[in-house]
Amino acid sequence: MKNFIVLILTLFFISCASDVDKNFKKRFENETPKRVHLKYWCSANPQEIELAKKLTEKWNELHPDIQVEVQPLPAGQSSEEILLAAIAGGTTPDVCSNIWPGAIAEYVKAGGLVRLDEFEDFDSVISARKIPRDLLESFRSSDGHFYQFPWKTNPILLLYNVKIFKEAGVEKPPVTYSEFFSVCEKIKNLKIGVYPGYTDTRPIWWQRFFDFYPLYISASGGKTFFKNGELKIDTISAEKVFNFFKTCFERNYFPITNFQVDPFLTGKIAMRFTGPWTISYLERNKPSDFEYSFAPIPVPDDYRGEVYTYGDPKNIAIFSSTKHKKEAWEFVKFLISEEADLLLLEICNQLPIRGDLLENQKFENYFNRNQKMKMFARQSAFTRGVDEAPEMKEIFDAISHEFEACSVYGAKSEREAVRNLVKRIKVILEWSK
Amino acid sequence: MVKVRRSENRSGYLMVLPYAVYFLVFVAYPLIFSFVLIFHRWNIVTPMEFISLKNFVRLFRDELFFKSIINTLIFLSIHIPLQIVVALFFANLLNQNVKLRGFFRALYFLPVVVSGVVVTILWQQLYAYETGLINQILSNSGLRKIPWLISPELAMPSIAIMATWKNVGLYIVLFLAGLQSIPRELYEVAEIDGASGLQKFFKITLPLLNPTIVLVVVLSTIGGFSLFIEPYIMTGGGPMNSTLSAMLYIYNQAFYFNHMGYAATLGFFFATIIFIVVFLQRKFIEREVY
Amino acid sequence: MRNKFLTYFILVVGAVVFAYPFIWMVFATFKPEFEISNLYPLSKNMSFKNYSVVFGKIPILRAFFNSLFVSLSITFSVIIFGSIVGYALSRLNFYGRDFILMLILFTMMIPFQITLIPTYVLIVKLGLVDTYAGLILPGMMSSFSILIFRQFFLTIPASLIESARLDGCNNFQIVFKIIIPLSKPAVVTVGILTFMSSWNEVLWPLIVIRNEKLMTMPQLVTIFVLGGQAESQLGVQLACATLLALPIVIAYLFFQRYFIESMATTGLKE
Repeated sequence: MKNFIVLILTLFFISCASDVDKNFKKRFENETPKRVHLKYWCSANPQEIELAKKLTEKWNELHPDIQVEVQPLPAGQSSEEILLAAIAGGTTPDVCSNIWPGAIAEYVKAGGLVRLDEFEDFDSVISARKIPRDLLESFRSSDGHFYQFPWKTNPILLLYNVKIFKEAGVEKPPVTYSEFFSVCEKIKNLKIGVYPGYTDTRPIWWQRFFDFYPLYISASGGKTFFKNGELKIDTISAEKVFNFFKTCFERNYFPITNFQVDPFLTGKIAMRFTGPWTISYLERNKPSDFEYSFAPIPVPDDYRGEVYTYGDPKNIAIFSSTKHKKEAWEFVKFLISEEADLLLLEICNQLPIRGDLLENQKFENYFNRNQKMKMFARQSAFTRGVDEAPEMKEIFDAISHEFEACSVYGAKSEREAVRNLVKRIKVILEWSK
Repeated sequence: MVKVRRSENRSGYLMVLPYAVYFLVFVAYPLIFSFVLIFHRWNIVTPMEFISLKNFVRLFRDELFFKSIINTLIFLSIHIPLQIVVALFFANLLNQNVKLRGFFRALYFLPVVVSGVVVTILWQQLYAYETGLINQILSNSGLRKIPWLISPELAMPSIAIMATWKNVGLYIVLFLAGLQSIPRELYEVAEIDGASGLQKFFKITLPLLNPTIVLVVVLSTIGGFSLFIEPYIMTGGGPMNSTLSAMLYIYNQAFYFNHMGYAATLGFFFATIIFIVVFLQRKFIEREVY
Repeated sequence: MRNKFLTYFILVVGAVVFAYPFIWMVFATFKPEFEISNLYPLSKNMSFKNYSVVFGKIPILRAFFNSLFVSLSITFSVIIFGSIVGYALSRLNFYGRDFILMLILFTMMIPFQITLIPTYVLIVKLGLVDTYAGLILPGMMSSFSILIFRQFFLTIPASLIESARLDGCNNFQIVFKIIIPLSKPAVVTVGILTFMSSWNEVLWPLIVIRNEKLMTMPQLVTIFVLGGQAESQLGVQLACATLLALPIVIAYLFFQRYFIESMATTGLKE
């Protein structure tokens, strides 16, 4: 019995000691000039893990003196919590490629990121990607510097089941809200158990990136919430969007439920707002005669102009805890090279943020084989991200609550909801000062 | 009288030392620090900012926080009575001369042992609107499906029912032990006097069971105030914040939005409420057992 | 007698209500996705597919060992320190003994809601985030267990202790060689209660551990089910839940009596 106790205590102390030992090793290793070790965190998404592994393998072959170790971000509700906690706990990696622009403000405030425009070749690398001006500017931080390198975007489009459309007599995908509703009406009358559309009604803040936010961006013609650091919500468009979803839930076009099994694949819903990452998921899991396609998201009836949408951009950043800035920058440049971008397309079906997607010869083959991605590529020039404002999470949390109360449960009018929303955002901003 | 020996003093201090250290580090320091944190704004990464009473001002204007407390109280007001009634009922049944009593007792106790995470995942499947087991049984019997977790009115009661299912086994065991400690003679005397079953129950069983009842109430209350993982997994606090428990709200403020100072203030306020409730409970429910 | 039949009938219904959901869950994990919602447990297409997905996607075995290590460490620590302190409080006389006792009672009254966040801050400051120490240290001692031990030790005849002292044993030897062996019920009670509560603990690991390799089993399952990795595959989620329940249910099957009695005695002792 006593021996057992001694054994457990020893194991315990060994594990604590091994933590100390690991720190020792890290410091020692990074001081010897022979080999540089970089830690690279990628998203927990399975395709992105595959991509990251392939890229780091290639890099490690080409650079035996700069070895990169890739680790997927621990899966959780959101990686922003994890990164902020890492900055607090001093456990940040050198490079991370799952940076959400909305959280950049917090990371910068915490002093966690390296200024990328410090590097001499930054400007030339950026201009080689031919990113549309206004999109690029949206990634510049309020102090005028770039702390993130634009990497990938996933424009939100309307996904629809081609077969169900044909059966319901829908000839082309809807463009305006009214057209959308009449499509829904036709599908609803088709047969029981098939819903025209669906969105997750749980009040989790990032769910709004797949319903409210893209439609707000398209309804307002490309506006976000802030302009020049000041809150300027397009309240009219916000009301229209709340009303749009309210109608969908009221008329039972969208069910209020949480599907446990994927409803689109099983033909239970006909439409959904989603991004290009869905393609590889659908291809892997679809039944044999399943047909689907994409269209731009609907706009209000009186809207004119290009259709914008939410791009869910994710960028790359170097953490200030790194001991090898130059090497980390070289690795980042590798991650955004044309070869890496091609792999991003091939493996993950996600779009690199570059303006020459459809012109660049290197990608021609890919787009010829993946016609559906062409639509996303064309849309990628007309996307918006989120503003770099503090407390973006809380703001979207507030949107979720209003969305739930107004659109899902019809408990308040759109005007009230938007008014409440603006009030709450002002309170949130004030508390953060 | 025991003579106090010098060496005994030393041994005593030595043996109690580990606890003293633990107390200072994990009880005293956090308590004191929480009093400091209450008056600051902090997100761990950037330095603390002194803001004196602003956290309290924010608290008293925070409708969502008060809603979360009310939600927790709603949960308790359903969970505790339900638990007592069901546990007493089954304990009574088991108290009679039943074969396989140990088997039944062990079976009822099974959900208590299992993690709340398992129970929540399981009940999510029971409560699902379209494909859940309960609604399937209902629609197969020709009844309408019930929006267990989707209706703002029903969501919290549904969680309360699930919590009762999980914990009632423990209270069955406690009540059973309490029932078995009541001397049989009391019942025999009452029968001779012509008392009916109900009279026996209310005049003998309940009063003598009072200590156990108090224990059950206090334990369920303290457990109920910690309600967190079930809404966290099942509903995320919805629909319409009806299942947002106080702990879930505090957790979100601290670890989602990184408002450490504010969350500490909420925790302090909430702990005070718990104190008051438990105190009141003991006062009103506890009776002398003679 | 009709009454008897009614009694048994209700008891059996109760047994079904408490046990069938688990049975359904276990069988559902072997079914293909579209059959899971069936009430009837058996199916023609049973397979281990869901489990292979779980084992492939998350380090659940590692989480199992993490939980085992953490829970065992906490349990042993609580038993050892609990008995040492419980002995000192029950058998030794020293200045300030009653004061310590009051401190312990006071600690028990403090709701964890108030100390949760400052304790987390403390762990961050000590650099123990994402370490086993961060999980184990705050649970190393339990006021409740100290009281249980103290209560029990008071019933041990003083003569035994006196004779051990005459034999030249110091206090530590008395605790380990005499007191603990005589206190099996208390040790078992404290052991089971501590092990069970630390095994099922999920809020604290969620706060303190971010590294997937160090997560405890309930924490890993929670995060897996909530995050997108399960890709809303129901069978996989249920398989996770089953795996999580398995260790404690197995322990329960073997040590049922001790589980139930431990919980019951704590009730009576109050």
